[in-house]
Amino acid sequence: MIRIETEPWAAMVAHAQASYPNECCGAMLGTTVSTPDGDTKVVHEAIALQNAFEGAQAARYELRPEDLLASDKAARERHMDLIGIYHSHPDCDAYFSTTDLQNSCPWYSFVVLSIQNGVFHHANSWLPNFDQTEAAKEELTY
Amino acid sequence: MAKVLIPTPLRQFTAKQDSVIAPGATVGEVLASLTTQFPDLRKQLFTDEGKVRSFVNVYLNDEDIRYIGKDAAPTADGDTLSLVPSIAGGAR
Ligand SMILES: [Zn+2]
Repeated sequence: MIRIETEPWAAMVAHAQASYPNECCGAMLGTTVSTPDGDTKVVHEAIALQNAFEGAQAARYELRPEDLLASDKAARERHMDLIGIYHSHPDCDAYFSTTDLQNSCPWYSFVVLSIQNGVFHHANSWLPNFDQTEAAKEELTY
Repeated sequence: MAKVLIPTPLRQFTAKQDSVIAPGATVGEVLASLTTQFPDLRKQLFTDEGKVRSFVNVYLNDEDIRYIGKDAAPTADGDTLSLVPSIAGGAR
């Protein structure tokens, strides 16, 4: 499961709402805590990244690998890990779309924020598989 | 020889190490020696045909290897290789 602390969560919601009606994207840094029930990823910091998709961004996003590399470096410097990616779905539910799946990577949690009429509505976290054919829902708390 | 930075989710395949020093005079050789050291990593990074997976970008220091000679890009001691995924998506 993944737990997002108050401060990064507020930053992610603010970023998603400010980007409306476009999609936003960013990186989540944190640590993994082992508990008897399994591992819990805890997000301590959210980094807003630029949506680099060339074209209409109302229903598309793209992360620059350079920005991800910088986020990974920032995480290491702060003794954290890059554990997830977030993006928003303006006026759509927080599902993991075929486009999301086909451009995903099985290494990270993917948090999707549904923004309805400019306001945060709900969110889900997804774990795409290796072949980019399915994503499992991951328990998310914030 | 180069230092390869291992993304968190792949450290389960590298005995928990967050970086691995791997020998090799080129990027291709470094990746080959890395995955020889840690065979379980191979499936994460390469297809069955031995090509780097489509969602994996390899950076030598701060440069995408696609622009500096791909697998043949020479590596020197002190160089850092990073494995960075391609990520995009969209609601529709
Ligand atoms: Zn999406």
